[in-house]
Amino acid sequence: MNRRMRSLHRSMGAIVAIFVLILATTGILLNHTSDFELDKRYLTWDWLLNHYGMNDVQADAVYLLDRHTISQFGSQVFIDANPVTQSHLPILGGIIIDDLMVLATEDALLLFTPEGEFIEQMGDGLGIPETIQNIGLFHGDPVVQTRHGMWRSDFMLDQWEQLSLEGVGWSEPKVVMPASVQDALSTYFRGKGVTVERVILDVHNGHILGRFGIWFADLLGGFLVLISLTGLWLWARRSL
Amino acid sequence: MKKVGSVKYTLGLLFFISLIVNSFTVSARGVYQTNQDFLTETFNSVVPKSKVVWLKGELALTITEILGHKYAGLRIRYWRNDQRSVWILEEIGKEQPITFGVVVAEEKIETIKVLAFRESRGGEIRHPAFTQQFKQARLDNMQLDRQIDGVSGATLSVRAMTDVAKLALYLDKFTG
Repeated sequence: MNRRMRSLHRSMGAIVAIFVLILATTGILLNHTSDFELDKRYLTWDWLLNHYGMNDVQADAVYLLDRHTISQFGSQVFIDANPVTQSHLPILGGIIIDDLMVLATEDALLLFTPEGEFIEQMGDGLGIPETIQNIGLFHGDPVVQTRHGMWRSDFMLDQWEQLSLEGVGWSEPKVVMPASVQDALSTYFRGKGVTVERVILDVHNGHILGRFGIWFADLLGGFLVLISLTGLWLWARRSL
Repeated sequence: MKKVGSVKYTLGLLFFISLIVNSFTVSARGVYQTNQDFLTETFNSVVPKSKVVWLKGELALTITEILGHKYAGLRIRYWRNDQRSVWILEEIGKEQPITFGVVVAEEKIETIKVLAFRESRGGEIRHPAFTQQFKQARLDNMQLDRQIDGVSGATLSVRAMTDVAKLALYLDKFTG
């Protein structure tokens, strides 16, 4: 019995030792979070951010207008990496006329300054043609293609005439956005990253492995209880 | 056997209740009236040409004071004839913009309506029983001249409507 207990104690000691080291090290680090500024240091490794669910998101639509990148993620519209307005309908294209950047959705035009400041949404009630499919330019005039034909206006965008034109420069979506904007948007969505403190805390309590990590930490706790009991038992037997 | 029957009955009842609750939640979202219909109704089909007011300088600051934040846009469009001005304004309730239609006549609210509601909760503010509180309300020292009773569970939507009412009254005076 004594030998079996000693063997169990040794085996469990070997298994538990490595995790005790991790627990002790992370525990000491957490005790000194402020000293080491662990709550102010950020980790931005892709695999780690993905592990924390901070995945890169793909734009639903990307357009390049002048020197700006227009993108849409869900209902949020971005100009470069700045959230500028919301549109519940997809952006279908964009043009620049005079001092206006104009984006088209199915039932509205979104107006921006050349610097990307949102001016207003012109839609229902303002004579904008319905069921827009694309927007383009014809000799500097805005033109929209709708399901029911083509319409042209001027820079005021409040009077539209139906006609048929050839040679309209239609807005075309881009498949990829410039790397600098992509990086800036990644930073926008991911923030600064994950703090070192958060990672160490999650290693310490097992949350780093998700649901299984908590069970694993429980199992390790059980091992520690067991190793304590077998150690006490061996000590008691030797004392007798 | 009887027990199984009563469990089925209870589950059925719970399912039915959840359906009713869900239908109320979903029904809060939607476009209740298009801008065009609101304008046509207000102006008896003779809708005047729209005008815009640019939110610059002192005006922008005052609007920020009224709403507690900048208005989402650099200009606001409105329609005016001899008697009234109509404002179609958007304000965030909790997370999503609510579209309001406001008619101002003689510096008083004639009508305020929710034209489109996109939040999952707080849609009760569209009911006439609530909106009628705003009728004939005036702006007094940047506040409405009356207390607007809240709606349980719709605090932010009520605040949005109150702010929009103040904004429309202020803009009506500014552009009048």
